[in-house]
Amino acid sequence: MSDLPCIHIDHTSYKYKSASENSLSDVSLTINQSDVFGLLGPNGAGKTTLISILCGIMAPSSGRVNYYNNRAEISDVNRRNFIGFVPQEYAFYQELTPRQNLDYFGAMYNLPKTKLVSRREELLEVLGLSKVADKKVETFSGGMKRRVNLAIGIIHEPGILFLDEPTVGVDVQSKNAIIRYLQEINNLGTTIVYTSHHMSEAEEFCNRIALIDNGRVIAKGVLADLLVENGVGNLQTLFIKLTGEAYRD
Amino acid sequence: MFKLYSSIRKEFLLLVNDKVGLALMFLMPLLLVFIITIIQDSAYKMVNENKIPLLVINHDGGLEGRKLVNLLAVSGLFKIDTLNELSQNSLKTELLSRGKMIALYIPQTFSDGLESNAGDVSKILMNDLGLEFDSTKQKSISLPTLSFYSDPVLQENYSYSVMGIIQSYMSVIENSLMIDRMYMTMDLGDKSSKLKDRMISNRVKIDHFVASTSNSTVIPNSTQHNVPAWTIFAMFFMVVSLGSNIVKERVNGSFLRLKTMPTSFMLVMFSKMSIYVVVAVLQVAVTFSMGIWVLPKIGLPELTIPSNFLAFVAVVFISSMAAVSYALMIGAIAKTQEQANGFGAISIIIFGAIGGILVPTFVMPGFMQFASNFSPLHWCLEGFYILFLKGGSWQELRTVLLFLGVFILICQLCTYFKLRIEKII
Repeated sequence: MSDLPCIHIDHTSYKYKSASENSLSDVSLTINQSDVFGLLGPNGAGKTTLISILCGIMAPSSGRVNYYNNRAEISDVNRRNFIGFVPQEYAFYQELTPRQNLDYFGAMYNLPKTKLVSRREELLEVLGLSKVADKKVETFSGGMKRRVNLAIGIIHEPGILFLDEPTVGVDVQSKNAIIRYLQEINNLGTTIVYTSHHMSEAEEFCNRIALIDNGRVIAKGVLADLLVENGVGNLQTLFIKLTGEAYRD
Repeated sequence: MFKLYSSIRKEFLLLVNDKVGLALMFLMPLLLVFIITIIQDSAYKMVNENKIPLLVINHDGGLEGRKLVNLLAVSGLFKIDTLNELSQNSLKTELLSRGKMIALYIPQTFSDGLESNAGDVSKILMNDLGLEFDSTKQKSISLPTLSFYSDPVLQENYSYSVMGIIQSYMSVIENSLMIDRMYMTMDLGDKSSKLKDRMISNRVKIDHFVASTSNSTVIPNSTQHNVPAWTIFAMFFMVVSLGSNIVKERVNGSFLRLKTMPTSFMLVMFSKMSIYVVVAVLQVAVTFSMGIWVLPKIGLPELTIPSNFLAFVAVVFISSMAAVSYALMIGAIAKTQEQANGFGAISIIIFGAIGGILVPTFVMPGFMQFASNFSPLHWCLEGFYILFLKGGSWQELRTVLLFLGVFILICQLCTYFKLRIEKII
């Protein structure tokens, strides 16, 4: 897979109208096409704000974000065609079945009907949802709902996938299934940008990370290099070393 | 097109899964129309169609009491129930227990009192004219008093109207009696009929016209008030379903997720509005069908469909749009589903109360009639009134369409700006 930069974040800041300080301050990062890139940090560090900017939900207060080196064919509008977003919340319709949810969101991604049907059935199968595909999601366990949430974000086979804590509150089996599938699609060429509070999971899953605290990037690079540079044995120790032990609420 | 179809299909699926919302939108108006129409029908009938039910106790020993009862009976205005065996004391109880609303008590000395008074008037006239008359002192009987009883729920002006009618028949009897007595005193025998006819029967007539732009003679009845009124109420009650639907999508991040997709948010809103406008039209179809086919079968007035069908469609559409826009606004403003449901439902009940849904605005005090102008439900109902009762021309509907148009615009703008603040649009 190509290791060319696919997202370039250039001196980006963001300030919420009601806040006195920036939620993101002068963030500069480059994410490569082959990356499973971990955006890590304590609560309120600015991870979700950065993902929201990268997905186009919010525009940065200053700075800019480029995709694929600003290739001419990628406008702001069609950027949405190659971006997939899996939010932390169950952002779908729990009164509907997984099949109905995938039909709706697939259509919103402009998938033609035949392609949508084949992709829907493939995802239901791969993510272990085939047997419950016609049951209302509201009756599902947390792990099954997470898998539905993921399936919606990848139904259109995005080039870049943003995941905001995709495994929070799920059982070990579901977590394994989700991570395994994400590794598979990364091997097939999907760039993954991921946030999590599970350090062991992030250590296993990500090849490169950025640690964010108080809206600033405090460390970034290849995970293995960062561990060596900071003289620590694992990501959790690195995290505590750089962000401190004080509670973050 | 596939996108639009999928979006509308999703809204449809969400709607059919919302069983409580469906019950509120379809069963509630049917029940309300059915129950309230039956309850209000007798009151509307009393004003519009039926004879006034009148309980009469005539204890008069003479002819004049019977004459009065006959005059009231032949007037066609009253449905008289005579119970002469009752005492005046038990009249109140009988009135309330028989549901008659009004009663008239004619005392024992009624004829004697009237004749005595007519004799006195005749003597004065003969004296003034210098004519001879029997001047022997006769026992004078004081002018009788009729007793009029009314149910406390009856409006005061209605009671006064009925008393006015009785009073006018009393004038006929008294005048007739005086003329007879004078002719008798002057020994003119039975030549009084010509004068009585001239004086009593040949009165100035009043022609009554129903103010309407068409030749429609339809007058309000319980069905024509309740069917559109409760349909509008139910239309606006979609705030419970649509409003909480919007809150849910805002809160769970579905709207934000859509923002990352190559789709327009307008498509989402258009789909929602389309489905709920169809719901509103179906509500009209269901409740109006009930008014046309079911209510007449249980003895209630039939709903007559207005002749200007295009205007009818326009009023249904703009009322639906007003209800949908209000629900969108509540959905955009409320922070939780509980807020949307609670505030939405209560605000509709208040709008309904001041808008003339529960009680027609014409019976409200002046300041409440003014307040009704601020209720969108009032303007929707006004639109249906113009169609049903006044043969509704576009000219008359202009104010209704204008007000509802402004209301829709305000709601849509509030929705837009609130969603923009939340960065959903």
